[in-house]
Amino acid sequence: MIRLDRVTKSFGSVEALQDVSLEVAPGEFVAIVGASGCGKSTLLRLVAGLVRPSAGHVALDGRPVTEPRAETAMVFQAATLLPWADVLRNVTFPLRLMRRAGGDTEARARALLATAGLAGFEHRLPRELSGGMQQRVAICRALLQDPRVLLMDEPFGALDALTREEMSLELLRIWQGREMAVVFVTHSIPEAVLLADRVVVMSPRPGRIAEIIPVELPRPRGFEQEGLPAFQAAARRIRALIYGGRAAHAA
Amino acid sequence: MRRSLPSIIAVLVLFLGWEAMCRGFGIRPFILPMPSLILAETLLSWPSVLNHTWATLVTVLLGFAASVAVSLPLAMLIAASPTISAAIYPILVITQSIPKVALAPILIVALGANELPRVIVTFLVAFFPLVVGTVAGLLATPPELIELGRACRAGRVQELLRIRLPFAVPFVFGGLKVAAALAVVGAVVAEFVGADAGLGYLIQTSMAFFRTPLAFGAVVILAIMGILLFQAVTLAERILFPWSSGAATPPASS
Repeated sequence: MIRLDRVTKSFGSVEALQDVSLEVAPGEFVAIVGASGCGKSTLLRLVAGLVRPSAGHVALDGRPVTEPRAETAMVFQAATLLPWADVLRNVTFPLRLMRRAGGDTEARARALLATAGLAGFEHRLPRELSGGMQQRVAICRALLQDPRVLLMDEPFGALDALTREEMSLELLRIWQGREMAVVFVTHSIPEAVLLADRVVVMSPRPGRIAEIIPVELPRPRGFEQEGLPAFQAAARRIRALIYGGRAAHAA
Repeated sequence: MRRSLPSIIAVLVLFLGWEAMCRGFGIRPFILPMPSLILAETLLSWPSVLNHTWATLVTVLLGFAASVAVSLPLAMLIAASPTISAAIYPILVITQSIPKVALAPILIVALGANELPRVIVTFLVAFFPLVVGTVAGLLATPPELIELGRACRAGRVQELLRIRLPFAVPFVFGGLKVAAALAVVGAVVAEFVGADAGLGYLIQTSMAFFRTPLAFGAVVILAIMGILLFQAVTLAERILFPWSSGAATPPASS
């Protein structure tokens, strides 16, 4: 449903992305990993319609993406909640902004918050919540838009390691119940392997796709799969692509 | 109340020490009057002091209101476009570099000896920190929040009204608090130069007749006025925007 066709994006004289082609199927979970400055975030923003490609085409369901679309929703590294609005109003904010809020919006928001373990926090302010809870609110905010594509830019990057693992599993649970493609940018190789159907490994300067690695692990996924040969093989391959020859010695 | 107790004690100690020093060293009242004398002299001419206080308060409030009315739209213009910002900012800085004491007599000649030049001087003293604070607030919105707005296809007006402006509220109130205190300064500066009423005028005429205690009384009333205005702004913030107050600086990222 998402199709990037030979996309190049330059900012001034800096080429952030060079000749990137990628397809994401409906309902597919794709992770993007790579060193800093490899254009992961730019790729995500291209799909979101927040930036336009310098060359090539980005299409969603065959239609070119020239501006933000209602089918896509984004989650950022920081929760970026509105500090003046309570949890419920934060979650409904995009729909209210797009004038798509209906009579059932609030009820749906409450139900969504409840599935994310945030029942009872509807009227708290963001600053009263922990970092993990804030990010849950941000994910609920994206999900309430019923996106067909969820774009996540290092969504768990600012969380501590334990919260991070917990949130990964929760994200998988939520994704499994929906017909929703996820494009998930991360710095964490195990996280990418655990979550994704395919891992896109990018190399920096200029940002290019080095390789796309399919993860052949059965779902539902869990951390107990970390020891499996398929998991290890995928992680090793990704690591080798990112670090080149150095990884073998370090490991 | 418990939290304000230390400050009350500190002020009491200060005044008692002052009183003791004046009595102990026999300082003459027209050089440094003791607090009890200041109080007595002020109460003695109370109705007139009250009139002067009222005159100053009117100037302060009008000047403060003018600052708010001009600063907020101006700040939005500056934040909206780098071109406008480049055009307006130097002018703003120029208005701030000119000493208002120098400007006041010119304004009074031009506009006449009435309330208007005093309000303008008050405004000129008070508005700048409000503009700077509001612009800083409007530009401090996290880029992700702006992206969220754009991802929801919000236009520029919606972005300003629903994201940037609410985000700037703590900054605006920071500016308002400074402006409230400065408005008192501005009003007194204007009254020094051209007025027939007001606490600034009272200080000048009192000193001309070596009625130092009365001048001190006016200074104390000015201080109280500044404190009350500052507190009023703080209270308004707490009532209107409970999420904003409490944090001295707004959260940087969340």
